[in-house]
Order: sequence, then C-alpha cells, then structure tokens
Amino acid sequence: MDPVRKEEFDSGACGSLAPKTKACPRPKPGEAAGGCSFDGAQITLLPIMDAAHLVHGPIACAGNSWESRGALSSGPSLSQYGFATDLNDSDIIFGGEKKLKESIDYIAGRFAPPAIFVYSTCVTALIGEDMDAVCKEAADRLGIPVVPVNSPGFVGSKNLGNRLAGDALLQYVIGTGEPEPEMQPGVNLIGEYNIAGEMWDIEKLMNSAGIAVTSRITGDARYKEIAWAHRARVNMVVCSRALLGLAREMESRYGIPYFEGSFYGAKETTYSLRQMAYLMNDRDMERRVDRLTEREENRLAQDLRPYRKLLKGKKAVLYTGGVKSWSVISALKELGVQVVGVGTNKSTEDDVRRIADRVGDDTEYIPEGGASRILKTVKERKADIMIAGGRNMYVAMKEQIPFIDINQERHKAYAGYEGLLRLAKELTYSLANPVWKLAASPAPWDREAPPYDR
Amino acid sequence: MSKDKLDIPDYNTLFSEHRFVEQRLNKQQFEAPCSEQETAEALAYSKSAEYMEKNFSRKAVVINPHKACQPLGSIMAALGFEKTLPFVHGSQGCNSYFRSHLSRHFKEPTPAVSSSMTEDAAVFGGMNNLIDGLENSVALYKPEMVAVCTTCMAEVIGDDLSAFIGNARQKGVIAEDFPVAFCNTPSFVGSHITGYDSMLKGILSYLYERSGVEAAPGRGEETGEKLNVMLGFEPYTGNFAEIRKILDAFDTKYTLLGDHSGNYDSPATGEYEYYYGGTKLEDVPLAAKALGTLSLQKYTLRKTQEYISGTWKQQISALSAPLGITGTDKLLEAISELTGLPVPASLTEERGRVVDALTDSHPYIHGKRVALVGDPDLLIGLIGFCLETGMEPVHIVCSNGDVDFDGVKFKEEAEALLSASPYGSEAAVYVGNDLWHMRSLLLNDPVDLAIGSSHLKFAAKDAGVPLIRVGFPIFDRHHMHRHPIIGYQGALNLIGLIVNTVLDELDRNNSGFNYDLVR
Repeated sequence: MDPVRKEEFDSGACGSLAPKTKACPRPKPGEAAGGCSFDGAQITLLPIMDAAHLVHGPIACAGNSWESRGALSSGPSLSQYGFATDLNDSDIIFGGEKKLKESIDYIAGRFAPPAIFVYSTCVTALIGEDMDAVCKEAADRLGIPVVPVNSPGFVGSKNLGNRLAGDALLQYVIGTGEPEPEMQPGVNLIGEYNIAGEMWDIEKLMNSAGIAVTSRITGDARYKEIAWAHRARVNMVVCSRALLGLAREMESRYGIPYFEGSFYGAKETTYSLRQMAYLMNDRDMERRVDRLTEREENRLAQDLRPYRKLLKGKKAVLYTGGVKSWSVISALKELGVQVVGVGTNKSTEDDVRRIADRVGDDTEYIPEGGASRILKTVKERKADIMIAGGRNMYVAMKEQIPFIDINQERHKAYAGYEGLLRLAKELTYSLANPVWKLAASPAPWDREAPPYDR
Repeated sequence: MSKDKLDIPDYNTLFSEHRFVEQRLNKQQFEAPCSEQETAEALAYSKSAEYMEKNFSRKAVVINPHKACQPLGSIMAALGFEKTLPFVHGSQGCNSYFRSHLSRHFKEPTPAVSSSMTEDAAVFGGMNNLIDGLENSVALYKPEMVAVCTTCMAEVIGDDLSAFIGNARQKGVIAEDFPVAFCNTPSFVGSHITGYDSMLKGILSYLYERSGVEAAPGRGEETGEKLNVMLGFEPYTGNFAEIRKILDAFDTKYTLLGDHSGNYDSPATGEYEYYYGGTKLEDVPLAAKALGTLSLQKYTLRKTQEYISGTWKQQISALSAPLGITGTDKLLEAISELTGLPVPASLTEERGRVVDALTDSHPYIHGKRVALVGDPDLLIGLIGFCLETGMEPVHIVCSNGDVDFDGVKFKEEAEALLSASPYGSEAAVYVGNDLWHMRSLLLNDPVDLAIGSSHLKFAAKDAGVPLIRVGFPIFDRHHMHRHPIIGYQGALNLIGLIVNTVLDELDRNNSGFNYDLVR
C-alpha cells in the first residue's frame, strides 16, 4: 500500500507557512469526521491556563466543548471556564459585535485575566463580524491583550486550526514581553499540551540536565511566558507538525534554531534531550545530558524487563491523531509490541514517512476514519490491543478488544522514561484483565462453539 | 500475566508526589500570582450580594452554559429509529463534538456522519457536499434511512435541504424510494431539546407522508389497540426499560416513537454493529392510527405534539418527566385514560413499596435545601419530587428555558408548582441563566444539596455542596444512565441516591461522638 496520500503532495505540508494550494487534506463528506479548525485552535490555546477564552458564536461550539479536555494546570483555572457570546437569531441578522464587546468588557472587569483570546466560529465568520477590530478596540481601551483567533470550523481540519492558533500567537503574543532578568535562557516546548501532566514529567527531566524551559507552548502555560518566547535559545516542536510553521517563523524572525522531537519512548526522549543540548551549543550541558540519559535508560531497562517479557510479540492497532502515531510507534517498538495497523488520517506526508521508517512492510495503513475500518484491521491482523482515542473506545469495548486511551481524555502520563514504564504496565494490565476472558466466553448454555481465540 | 494490582498512578496521585509539587511551587516564583490575601478577598467578593447583583445584570456573555445545541438532540432522535444514520450537514467539527458528547455520557459509540463543508461550500453552498456525503455514507454504512439535520453554517448560508436531497435523487446518487428525513436545526436557536423535537417531527412526518396511510385517530382495532409513547430527549436508557415495564404491566400494545435505548445499551458480543434497536420504520405510518399519544416531555416535544394532534388528530397526554410518586401517578392515570385500561394491581403494589421506602428515608431529607439544574421537563419532575418528599427547592436554573422560547410557560408552571407547597416558598426559578449564575446563588444563599449534571460539579465544589448527578450530561460517573429515574422504581432510585448522599455527608462531617451505626 502506498503510504503517502496524493492530496498531500498537492497540498504542500500541513505545517508549512506557505501552502502551495490547500492547507491541509480535506475531509470527505459522508464520513464520521474528526474535529474542525475551531476545535484545533482551541486545543492549542486552551492550555494557556490564566487567560480567558471567549467563543464568539452560537452556544454549540462552547456548549459542547467547555471543560472537557485533559490539559492539566498547576495553578490558574480560568481557561477551563466556558465563555461564549451565545448568539441567537437576531444577532445573526443584526450582528453580534456589540455583544462581543460587552462580553470582553465583562470578562476583563470580573476576572481580570492577563489576556483574552476570542475565537471566531463558522457563524461569526460567515456573517462577517469584524472581530479583529472589536478586539483591537477593546485591547486599547482595557489595556490588556485581546487576541482574535480567526479559525472558524469550516476552513478545514483540526491540524489547520492548530496552525492558525500558532499564527495568532506569532502575530499578537510572541515578542511582546520580556522574561524576568534572573531567568536563564532555555528551550521552548512547542505543541506539548500537558495532557495528563506529561509536560511536568518532561520538565523534570530537562531540569535534571540543567536545561531550562523558557516557554510552554502551550501546556500549563501562563500568558506572560508565551510573550517572552522569542528569548529562548532553542525551539523543540513536540510531535506537532501543525506548529512547525511557528518554529520556522521564529527561526527567521529571531534566529532561534528548532528541531522536531518526541518524548514517547526512551530512544526519542534521549534524542530530544541531546538535540536540545547540542543546539544550545553548550558542551557542559551535553555531558550532563549524556550522563542523565545513560542513567535513566539503564534504570528503565531494568524496570522494563518483566514487562518486555510479557509484551513481546503482542500486536497493536494504533489509531490516533496523525502527529502522535510515529512517536508512539517508537515507544511500542521498544516494548516489543508490534504495530500491525496505524491510522494515517491526520498525518502529513512527513508523518507518514516517519511511520514508514518505524514499522514493518506488512503494517496496514488506515487512511480514513470510521469504526468499521479500524475493526477490520484488528480482526484481519489478529491484533491483541487497540490504542486510540475516546470516540473509538466504546467500539473496542463492544468488540471485546483490550484498549488504551492515548488521546486527550487519558489520565495517565506516558512521556519520558517513566512514562514508557507506565505505558508498559498499562499495556500488560489492559491485556491481562480477567474481564476479557469473561467477555469472550459465551453463556454456559451456549458453549458448544469455542470461545473467540485472540 | 502478572496478578499485580494496577499500580500506575493516575495524574491525581502521581503529581501529588513531592518532586512535582516542588516543581510547581518553583514555577510560581515567576508567575507573580496574587497574594493569598488578595485571593481570599476576591473569593469573598464573589460570594457577596454585590457581586451577585453584577453577575445577574450581565447581559452579554454566557459563562458555563448548561445546554448543548440543536443538532446534538437531532442525532439522538435519529438514533431512535431502526437502521437510521444521523447525518449532520455542515462543517465537520460539529459532528465530532456531538459524537464525543453523547459517547462520554452513554459510554457507547455514536454512529453519525458529517457532510464536512469547507469554505468553498460557504461561498457556493453546500449542495455538492450533501450529495457526495449521501452517496459516500450510504455506501459505507448501509443504513435503511438517513436523517439529515443542519448546523449553523448550513443555515446561515441558506442551504435548502429538501431541494438538495431532491437533486441527489435526480442525480441517481440515492434511490428514488430511499428514505431521507430531514430537519433544520440552527444552533443559534433553541438547544439540544428543540433539536430532538425537530428531528422527531421531521422523521414522523416524512415517513407518514410518503406512506400514503390515512390518519385515523383512535382506530385501535386496526393497529392492535396500540398506544404511541414518546420519551423525548432521554439521557437514561433505564427509563426506556422502566416505561416498557409499566406498559407491559398494563398489558397494552404500544409503539415507542423514538427509542435510542438499543443504540446506547447494546451488548458486548464481540461484534460491533452500526445500528441497534430503534423504532421500526414501518411502524411510524401505523402510529397515525393509534389510540392516542403519550408524551413524557411536553416542553421538549412541543412541535411533535402539535404535529400529532394537528395532522394525526390524536388525543395527546403531555406530561413532564414522571418523577416521584405523584409524577408516576399522573403517568399511570394518563395511560389508563388513553387506553381505557385500569391501573394493574402490580403497579399499585409497587407504589406502596416505594411509598414505604420514602417514609423510611424522610427524616434525613426533610427540609434539605436543594439547588436544581436541568432541562425544563426534568426540572418540573424534580421539583415535584422534592416537594413531595419534604425537600425545599431553593435555586432552580434552566439554561434552555430561554425566555424567548417558551421559557415563560415553563417558568409559570414551575412557579405555580412551587407556590402550591409550603416547601416551595423559598424557591426562585431562573430561565436562560447559566452555571456562573448558579455559582453566585450557591455561594450567596447556601443549600444542602445540588442536583444536576456533571457540569454543576464545579460550582458545587466552590460552594462546598455535595452534587447528586441527575440529567444530561453525566460524564464523570459510570452507569448512572442505566438506572431509571422515572416510575416508582425511579423514585426509589432517586431517593436512594439522595438519602445516601446525605448520610455520607453526615459520616464525613461527624465530630467523633455521633458516628452512628444505625440510621
């Protein structure tokens, strides 16, 4: 099977700043599609925990999404409030700009956030609201940044939304502030959202090697730290091609070198830490990183031994947002788990190439969504476990397939060395739970057929 | 495999470890957080009457809404019919929200597709997306009916569903006789309950009108003395089981118009099918000849009720959620009246048992002050239940009892219900308000218990009030939706939930000398 989709050749890389034609692959009508650009923009910016996030549109976009992400905060929680202008039909006819202005004023007055992000939606984009002007006026009047995020759902996929959010940060936030004088320059983590607290594990590792985090873009971030992101010495794009454009632009504007890396799996983690130290151009730091990674890898190898034994030869189907696929494959491979099927529906050309580098020739690519397609792969390849997100979890349960949630609602952190150990444990436990045996055996009076062999 | 306990800490425990706590404290150094005193002052201010006044004079912004949008309800309605594929005409994100939202509540997959409109559709209209979408989805998912609803986007650009579906037939994309029901559900009007109503009415009228059947009200003999029953936007699969149990006890035949319990409560057999259960499509035209129609969500189902009484000329008994003893009594009386059958002795006996249970528990809930959040019909049921058990509803917030959308009538009924009981004397009903208003109410005028969906947990936590999860959505507890809350059995479930929460609180707050064994 040809892993690279044609439309991606046509479209140019999704993360590119200057797409040749279309920005990201288009969803196909009549399928159970994934999230939209609005969703993508929100996911990127909501982890800025102390900011207020106001959705300008009808109730749906906010009402269906507030407070349901797993990006954790170490302090402020304003970002978790569902703010919406809740436009009704008369607003659609006469315009909602007045309501927007009043909403911004109320939020600024009551919640005193360091900044307000205002999101356009399909409706406000279609009726031609001049959101930029309202935001600018409010920012000038109130003396706080009011950032318009122009990413209505219909412009395309979630990935494109991530990118548009990155554009908003570039245009309105990055470069507008300065770090505290005592802070040592370090690394920006771009596209790491602190799902289940993974950022904290990563930070701990970086700090042990003496590498400072300058800005978190945006996991567990504060508005202020994004404003000073231009003072970092290195940008790391964590598993998110959609924000690659942000890194590229920061390279050309501020001369900050960037690299793409991941923290899933020991190999990738070591590579990422080394790369940071190398780009910081600091020999001492490189040596510290080498010592740290060696120590951590040895300890991990020890801890993993019993789990590797149990997991060796197990087969998994991985269905997650394209950007995560290749890095999770690395992690699984280190545990001896063979990936027999992998979703590529949201992957870019480069992501697919990375996947191809990491899996065998007989791995099946699942280019488009739909439960039935994933299930077919699980059955045909006799997979032992499915690793996917919440929307597919219950399908797996119906089919009695052991399952691990890898997406935004998960409650376990899998990044870094300790994360890999947690992933190994989670995999063994999920496979070993007696409920699968129970589920696979028919009622005693129906036993003549042999139980489904897995 | 090892038989160890699952000892992978989830984030609650993992990040409480000292090293991470320290890391977070370090971070605060340059966060420049407010001082503890400032935080305390702000919190105190947010509890003040002065702030509450400001909060309630807020006109422009909605903070923490307690409603979802129309198409979400439409999907639920569509899944109530056999082999029906819900189809959302609009940009793709909406559909993924709806699927997540419903799946998070029911812990079941939600089959639904989107026409994935993009900006070229915004300029040229979504016809091609709808036609391609119909072709693709019918080929992929092999439904027997497609139920199309619109989103804001399709509505704002003015897509004409009826014409587009006609064009799809003309182009041969779908067969001439393949049923495609549809309705308009812009999200800037109404909420999930109005969307449910629109789609139910859309499906009933569509299937009826194309069948050529003549409506003949009360011709029970032709249809086997059937009764139509509608549960509406029903987040409890257990309520379907309960209503079946009650109707079977009456020994009446019935058609559930819209039954998504199959889709949201299917067995794990090792084989996932796309469609489970649902009202049979051929039963819909025959429903026009039924004895009458029983509606259990009169505010939710306004359009459908109008259609059934207007076009099918049927007698309708429209109730709100039949919660508690009085609510269930009304339900049984309505069934009795519509079918001419007496209330079966088995139900009278069950009633007696549940009344007994309520009397057992009443000392612990008498006079408990309660805050309620929910959809209009649920709230009417809950208010009635609270009053009959001696609980005192105090704050009642209904985000989707919008003032411009029948909110007034709901409010009137709720207030009349409350003022008829001494236990309702302190209550105030707020329509079109959100959970940030509720937070002000809880902080300013404290209550003992909060009853509502998972979304209420944040305000309840701020106010230190235990939350009893009832309604939609319940994301953070498992299997609540499997236990009925309607009928006498439902009353028993509700009283169990409430009284045991109260008793848990007593134990939690015990001061050492009254850690009672017997209560």
